[in-house]
Amino acid sequence: MPAISIDTFFACSLMVLLVLSAMTATVKILQPLLNAPADNEAQRLGEVARRIMLYAGKPADWGRCGLTAPEEFGLAMAEAETPYTIDPDKVSRLNSENVYCLSYAQIFTSLRTPDLSIRIEVKPLFNVKLNLTATSESVDETVYTFEATLERDDGVRVSANLKVYALAGSLFLQNSILPNVDGKASFNVTAPKSLESPILLVVFAKSTQNSRIASYAVYYLAGGEKPPPKGAFLRLSPINQTLTITSTCSGVFLEGVYAITFNHVGRLSQTGNNVFGIPLFLDASPMVLVATGWNATQRFIEWTAYPQIPLQTGVNFSNLLSTLNVYVYEHLVSINHCIYKCAIFLGGLKG
Amino acid sequence: MRGQKSGQIRIIEAFLAIFIIFSALTISANLSAKNPSQRSNGLASMGMQVLLHLDSDGSLAAYIAAGNWSGLREALELLLPAGVSFNLTVYDDQMRQVNTELIFNGALNSQETTLVKYVCTSRGLLFRCYVVYLYLAVAK
Repeated sequence: MPAISIDTFFACSLMVLLVLSAMTATVKILQPLLNAPADNEAQRLGEVARRIMLYAGKPADWGRCGLTAPEEFGLAMAEAETPYTIDPDKVSRLNSENVYCLSYAQIFTSLRTPDLSIRIEVKPLFNVKLNLTATSESVDETVYTFEATLERDDGVRVSANLKVYALAGSLFLQNSILPNVDGKASFNVTAPKSLESPILLVVFAKSTQNSRIASYAVYYLAGGEKPPPKGAFLRLSPINQTLTITSTCSGVFLEGVYAITFNHVGRLSQTGNNVFGIPLFLDASPMVLVATGWNATQRFIEWTAYPQIPLQTGVNFSNLLSTLNVYVYEHLVSINHCIYKCAIFLGGLKG
Repeated sequence: MRGQKSGQIRIIEAFLAIFIIFSALTISANLSAKNPSQRSNGLASMGMQVLLHLDSDGSLAAYIAAGNWSGLREALELLLPAGVSFNLTVYDDQMRQVNTELIFNGALNSQETTLVKYVCTSRGLLFRCYVVYLYLAVAK
């Protein structure tokens, strides 16, 4: 190889190295400056999300009175002993099933950040899925076989203790416990054939490793018919340890109203016109409130949870990702001694 | 003949130059400065929340006092989001390691490892103080 070629080669290499060094230095110097607005925005929105979790709002007990709209938005329990303790009434008032539900405009106004859109999701740390796998009939009984699956959103199975309740009218058909279920379990529910009422199956699950990690599922058995939509007969709105029942069709007669948790069952006593007192159970468990009754044509069962979780409220960002920067902040929160997952989506205009 | 050789060398030089330039571009494309602070802050916040919730009813100290390391590991797996690796070490007030088993759900392969330090106390009649080191990383 002639000397001139070697010289050219080294000269080229040197120039390329110089260019590379210059590019690296430029990137190192400019990148933080280019990222700074996005980082600042993410940090600001993170603080907004944290404030929603840690601040009780104004007035601090806005969740308790159905007619009160918050001046300042915050979900924390007033005077809570530990941080990230959320008020069950405030959560319930975000659920559209509740007659005292806040509108998005009320949430948006009280948030006092006019440049932001918000979505709030609260759900248990794992899900209970119920499947009716078989039905067998004898002369006077029907046996329903169910399969319960306990898994996280990512599909990982969870070990838990299960409690199964089956309710028909004022009759509790079943109240049984399945200990140490490793992700999946089968069980039977037996109902007399003469039963006119639909059956509501309520299953609670508590993690075997921490009883505060709990979940639940409800299954409506309408004797082979398609179950009516939730709220077809009654709308159940629990806040402030009271349940307000509103009729959604005419000629409804209430038979009984019950509160069910993992360890307790109680019949609610009426304290006013369609208002019932909810007992305060010292049980780290979701609570399912059940109302049974009939109208002119059929018997029914309506139910809701207290606090009304799972919950999704606010803007659906899935169609707005092209115009908005959306940040998601996940927190673990404690509601009525149970631990839930709360995701706050905050979106601001790109720019 | 001599001219032909000179031409071949020029072509080789050109290829070498192209190779060097593309290598430079490829390397520099991967040199963008990453800012890990946001993710680290998120992980640290999540880790602190997990420990706070476990400690709020005394169950964290109860796991440690009972030596229930598998229970503590399963509780952490449930509470932490999917895709987060953890490694937890418990020390006593003299900073001697208490846990006799490894409490982890996978190797911390990520470059961005976050450490959360937490102090908890037992709630029994016998006062004990534990220092918990929770290392967190986003699993690759």
